[in-house]
Parts: sequence; C-alpha cells; structure tokens
Amino acid sequence: MNRFFKFFVFASLSGLVLGGCYPAGPDFTEDLDVVYTDYDPEFDFQGQSTYAMPDKIVVDVDIANNGDTTYEYMKDIYAGPILDRIEANMTALGWTRVNINANADVLLTPAAISSTTYFYSYWYDWWYGGYYGGWGWYYPPYYTVSSYTTGSLIMTIADPNIDSPINKSPTAWVGAMNGLLTGSGDINRVLNGIDQAFEQSAYLKTN
Amino acid sequence: MKKIQYTLAILLISAVTMLQAQSNTYMTYSMGFGMGDLGDFISKTSFRGAAIDYRKLVQPNVGVGFNLGWNVFYEDKAFDTYTSGTESLSGRQFRYSNHIPMLLNADYYLNPGEKVSPFIGLGTGVMYSRRNTDMNLYTVQEEAWNFTLCPEIGVQFNSNISSATTIMLKYYYGLKAGELDEAQSYLALNVGFVFRQP
Repeated sequence: MNRFFKFFVFASLSGLVLGGCYPAGPDFTEDLDVVYTDYDPEFDFQGQSTYAMPDKIVVDVDIANNGDTTYEYMKDIYAGPILDRIEANMTALGWTRVNINANADVLLTPAAISSTTYFYSYWYDWWYGGYYGGWGWYYPPYYTVSSYTTGSLIMTIADPNIDSPINKSPTAWVGAMNGLLTGSGDINRVLNGIDQAFEQSAYLKTN
Repeated sequence: MKKIQYTLAILLISAVTMLQAQSNTYMTYSMGFGMGDLGDFISKTSFRGAAIDYRKLVQPNVGVGFNLGWNVFYEDKAFDTYTSGTESLSGRQFRYSNHIPMLLNADYYLNPGEKVSPFIGLGTGVMYSRRNTDMNLYTVQEEAWNFTLCPEIGVQFNSNISSATTIMLKYYYGLKAGELDEAQSYLALNVGFVFRQP
C-alpha cells in the first residue's frame, strides 16, 4: 500500500507539473496582428497610374426599415493618419491620387469593421466518490464568460471602368489587417499593418 | 489540451494497478529533439515531456511491457510573411506539436541485478500526433495516428531492491499518416525514477 501511495503521489505531482508547463502562446495583443493581401493576377497594375480614395473611412452601415442606408464614419483623428499612410504608400509605389470626379484609373476604398465575440470557458474538477469507491467528474463545472473585440481594416482596389453585368467592379487587390482591439486607441498598429500590406504587394508598383 | 491531460491521468492511474508482478516501472522526465519534418516545423528543443514505462520481467534479463509518453514541441516564430499563390499573410506564428506514443516494448538487460544495468530495447505501436499552427485567433490543426517504431538504449542505476534511477534515449519514428504529410520523428532523452517490484 505504501508503494501504491508513493506511486500515486508521484503520478499526481507529475500531472500537475505537466499541466503547468504547457506552452503559453502569445503574450501581447500585437502578437495576434495579421496582415493579409491578395490580388487578381490578370489585372494590369502597371498600366494604371491614378487612383481616387474617399476622405472618410466607413466603419458601419445602418439600414433603416424603409431600406435607406446611412454610413457611420471613423473619427477623423484616427481616419486622418490612416488615409495619410495609405496615400504615402501609394505615392511611393508610383501612383497619383486624383479627385473622385477626375475619372481615376482605379478606386481605393478603405473600410473598418469591428466585431465582438463572447465566449465561455469551463473546466472540470476531480472528485473522489468515497461512498461509491471511484473517480469521476464533478458537475457542474465552473464557467467564466469573457469577450474580445477584433478590428479589421480592409483596403480594396477596383477598376470602376471595367464593365460587369451587375454594375460592380471586380476587386483587383485586397489588403486586410486584423487584430485584437484593446480600446487604447493605439493607431500605430494599424499604420504598421498598412505599411506591411503594401510591402508584401510589390506587384502594385507602377514606377 | 484537456483531453490529453485527462487521458494521461487515467493511464497513469491504471498503470498503478500493474505494480504487482516482478517488474520495473519507469517514470521519467523527457526532453525532445525534433528531427525530419518535425524538426523543420519546430527547430527548438522541447523541455516539456514525460513518459511512463512498464516492463514485466519475463526472464531476469528480458522485460516486456509498454511505453506511454507525451512530448510537446513549441516555437513562436518572429513576424514573417507566408505566401501561397497570390495570397500573402503576415504575422507571428505560434507552433505546437504534441506527440503521445503508445507502444509495446521489449528490453534486454545486459547486467540484470547489478548496480549499473544497461539495456537496449525496441518498441512498436502508435503515436498520436497533433500539430497546431496558430496565427491571429485561428489555428490550423493537423492530426495523425502514426504507426511507430522506437529503438531505445538506456542505463538503470539500481540503488536498492525497490528503487533505481534511469537515463534512456529513445528514437521515435512515426510513419507518415493522417493529415500530416511526412513521417514524424524525434529523439527523446528521458531521466527519472524506477519503481522495482522484486
């Protein structure tokens, strides 16, 4: 019995140690930031030179009961630096920004989306059924409820001059960045993401 | 993750019941060194692992039994860009590779009963492999049940009639299977205690 006990204590401690040292993964919200880009290989980026871009960034669309839509825009203190950074990158790649009425070669439209996901986690606890002589699971487990909000900035480039039967231009390029929003208003993560999106899209270069 | 811990806990407890015949039960801490495809995926040494070995001594110098182990490899990759076709994705990757070998083993002890008893052995069975590549809030998970061969060498240092310490080197080679495109192999260096049943 003594041997059994020693073995059991050893086994239990081993289990605890094992559980405690499982690798932890990301430490900071920045570690979760990703930048995604994709493009249409058929599209002739080198044959274009001008682009138009709105001076506001849509963050939401309200659709009324009668079908009217109202756009919600990002605050200028955030939208300003974002639009400036996009323009700086496009200029560096040889593009010229023109007014929306100037019949630009392509349109670049940025949009931002945030979404909140709720999740709950739970874990079981061991119990020893003294009366029944055995191990089992203890119900109900503990619950914790938590939430996280992710934010995405999506940029698309489309040629408005391409005819399509549904009056919509196919997207020639999309750049998207996604990360956890912390509410700290740190715009630098988005700006770095914009730089990265253009950096990994060398085919946009026209000069 | 929880499933793995519970499975291990249950198997740990069931192993207790086998402590009766003339036998050696090894409880070891295990370090893992990824090789081949696993080494390419995660180059860092794993310091997270454990194993239980049980050998029933059918002859004084021959033990047969099982090996149950767990090694988890982990590496967080620096910010990088991964491109596939026209798509590019940049970010940090967090890579995990869990391996749970479940093998039947036979060992041959060169100096049974002596203070220093080297042994060689071979194990065969299956290994559950689970590879996770985490980026952003998503994970790509690939699983496999690899048919596995495991040659091993080791030394058992007998301190008294009921206990000993051990150091052993196992080479797990899991054949290509399941969602993983390549064989999964690693070296495990195990050190730990031996519960001897005379």
